[in-house]
Amino acid sequence: MNSYLPEYFKEFELIWESRDTYTIHLPKENPGKAGQFYMLSSPGIGEAPISVASGHLREMLFTIRSVGTVTSKLPDARVIGVRGPYGTSWPWERYGKILAVAGGIGIPPINSLFDEMVGTGRGKDLEIIYGARSPSDLIYHKQRKEWAKMANVIITVDKGDPNWKGNVGFVTQFISKSETDRDGAVFIIGPPLMMKNSVAESLEAGFRPENIYLSLERRMECGIGVCGHCNVGEFYACEDGPIFQYSAVKHLPELFL
Amino acid sequence: MNYILSKSEMESAFVAISSDFQVYGAVERDGDVIFDRVAGFDQVSEERSRYAPKEFLMKRNENVLILNVESKKAVFGIKSCDLKGFYLMDKQIFGKDPFYTQKREKTLFANFVCSEPCSGGFCSSFGGPVLDQYDLQILREGEKFHVMVSEKYDRYFREFKKETGTFYVDFSNRFNSKLEPLPVEGIEKRIKWNSELWKEYASACISCGACNFECPTCYCFDLYDDGNERKKEWDSCILSGFTSSSAGNIRKGLDERLRQRFYHKFVYFKKSKDTYLCTGCNRCVEDCPVGIDIKEVITYDYNGE
Repeated sequence: MNSYLPEYFKEFELIWESRDTYTIHLPKENPGKAGQFYMLSSPGIGEAPISVASGHLREMLFTIRSVGTVTSKLPDARVIGVRGPYGTSWPWERYGKILAVAGGIGIPPINSLFDEMVGTGRGKDLEIIYGARSPSDLIYHKQRKEWAKMANVIITVDKGDPNWKGNVGFVTQFISKSETDRDGAVFIIGPPLMMKNSVAESLEAGFRPENIYLSLERRMECGIGVCGHCNVGEFYACEDGPIFQYSAVKHLPELFL
Repeated sequence: MNYILSKSEMESAFVAISSDFQVYGAVERDGDVIFDRVAGFDQVSEERSRYAPKEFLMKRNENVLILNVESKKAVFGIKSCDLKGFYLMDKQIFGKDPFYTQKREKTLFANFVCSEPCSGGFCSSFGGPVLDQYDLQILREGEKFHVMVSEKYDRYFREFKKETGTFYVDFSNRFNSKLEPLPVEGIEKRIKWNSELWKEYASACISCGACNFECPTCYCFDLYDDGNERKKEWDSCILSGFTSSSAGNIRKGLDERLRQRFYHKFVYFKKSKDTYLCTGCNRCVEDCPVGIDIKEVITYDYNGE
């Protein structure tokens, strides 16, 4: 079997979430779990690793920021290829309570997590802190309402605008006020500096290093642990991650790059 | 099983293998030793090939959207250091990459054990030229051939005389005592993240990637679209684009990329696979245009900095 061969979709839905972020909806059940990723592609454009935004066994959703050589061209693609799922997932089933901290385009895998937890009646065990650069960068307006029905949700922006009446500040500022039980887990996903500071705040707030999990973003090309690009220390982010237990990777000097 | 064969017996084993495999061997062509089809065992050169024979299992460039059924190949005259590279790669990529895996399973390697250390090589630091994993491992002693055969290919040799003594062990000990091993043990603990060595190498390195492309253990590749094809092509961790993504580049500095190459070989692979990702072939040293020597990475006094 050729594991590099994608499954192609000519029929798919593409919805813009903000000026630079869109969601691709594929008519296929997601066999993967929250935190895992797929290689999305289009012939002639190339492949990019994208975390799944919907829960296990829901229809596949991928929310993508248009920034890279592939992701900026996918909105114009007539065919979308997908292969996966790859990598590790958020280990939410092992924990009673979970605090999810997401920055920017880190939010889709947390939506996937919410899907899965709600699906098993555990939506109330989740607390979400979601931050973006500005109010116009916040996405998932409908989903955020769904989250708030079940979970404690804190939304914040780095910088507000005249119409913004919500929180202003980095996600890290809200970790110490978290309602999540300190024996629970913290799932952190976002830019490297945001993750670094969120880990420090989580430890300060009383969460344990072995209960903190990070999603590492690296250049990934194969998704199956062979091409070497995502190598970080003794790990390959695509197969040993992207979700890593903080205590298992904290010794890596390249962790927060 | 170990066997001892005469020259003519070696030829008849070669003929038997030829009936089941497309046979390649090291041959001299225009002053270089390369691999090409061979029709007899006596045509196989004992000289080391100019390049590590990685292409038998990893083409420089191939379209991953089409997985062809490969023919069975037998390769005679690959040197132990080069063959060992595949056994090391196996630990990371066998069973995962379908292109490599299919070719690996269908290729018989008959490695030649060097009778004397080569200039610059340091294979004794990693166990020496007598490998403990092989298909057919051949050592010529005058007109006699000592052959170690794996179970998978034993059927080609059953009719020949078995060798029961300690020939290979004795030979290995003799060879390794002639070529003093480098103090490689524990390098994963001695090596230093902030060593001056990386900056010194970076000031000379021209980022050509020859060290990776020459290396019998380097397996990294790039995947990119080229028209209707999705190409898998040899890549090099020394090149600046290796880790660049839309999120930035985690190894912008050449010193960081050089360090990555040595850390992957001597620290990361040791931690994840319990072995070093180097066979002591010295190819990266011979082909480095600016004289960077991986042996120095092993022997350097990091504590003395």
